[in-house]
Amino acid sequence: MSLLGFCQWLEQTRLATAISESVWLFPIIEGSHILALPLSVGMILMFDLRLLGLAFQGTSASRLMRDVLRWSKFGFVVVLITGGLLFMTQASKAYDNVFFRTKMVFLLVLGINAVVYQIVFYPKMEQWDAGGAPLGARICGALSLVVWIGVIVCGRTMAYQF
Amino acid sequence: MTAIRSWLEWCSNTSAIVFIRDSSYGMPAVQSVHLVGLTMLLAAILVLNLRLAGVGMMDWSLAAVERQLRVWMWVAITLVLASGAVMFIGNPTKYLASGPFQFKMASLALAMLCQFGLFRRFFRSEPAIRPRAINIVVAALFLTLWFSVGWAGRVIAFV
Repeated sequence: MSLLGFCQWLEQTRLATAISESVWLFPIIEGSHILALPLSVGMILMFDLRLLGLAFQGTSASRLMRDVLRWSKFGFVVVLITGGLLFMTQASKAYDNVFFRTKMVFLLVLGINAVVYQIVFYPKMEQWDAGGAPLGARICGALSLVVWIGVIVCGRTMAYQF
Repeated sequence: MTAIRSWLEWCSNTSAIVFIRDSSYGMPAVQSVHLVGLTMLLAAILVLNLRLAGVGMMDWSLAAVERQLRVWMWVAITLVLASGAVMFIGNPTKYLASGPFQFKMASLALAMLCQFGLFRRFFRSEPAIRPRAINIVVAALFLTLWFSVGWAGRVIAFV
């Protein structure tokens, strides 16, 4: 089955049609997707600001990371589930949409960025924990900040084209 | 009231607003700014209130967390208010007649009054001097209040 064929099949599933046909399900799922942003993306942005030296300066970066990541996991569970459900209801439109495709590429970039941080910079955090982050870690933070904002912009803009 | 309404109507027909409203990416751009601001503002509110409730950020005092987040809260509030004002002026008649919009403005005013006025000192004091139950209740009330503003905003589009 092609990717587009899969999208068309998704739209026809009982779950997808139930969401589309319900008066309240779609708004509730969409609202939850948006209002989980502060708990998911927002927490990551807090840590990005710390890496860039724009907030929580002079305080332990590793402890801030531990706290915000612990909370953001709950937020990401909600955005992933609600995002998946929203996608199901309009999968073939999303498949064709340039903003949806850009959003998916951005998410991939963010995933790679997070893995790079975890492997390269996380183990050395104790060397600079209370001070300024090294250049590489700052670049990870700046990339995360800019691309997450890009994800929000693409997500909002794609909805105008459906 | 009629004077204000006709002034708003005049505003909604100024060339800048007409340009934003009629171009294909004007409103999506303004809405995007609104969402980025919302993400930042409610994230700061979450961190502050979760610290108040004693759920995390225990390596910092509440006053220290408040001090670190203050400037970002104001940056975020500027983004949501400025983008929100453009959306409102784009179609004042629709918004003024909308129940969810009226509710949103009332709860926003209450949230800002409490967060930055009545309870300002509360968020700069040491939570440990009070029973933890009080801190948890206050944090829950503040989070409910701020997130109702967000939900009301979403309901405007669907009602």
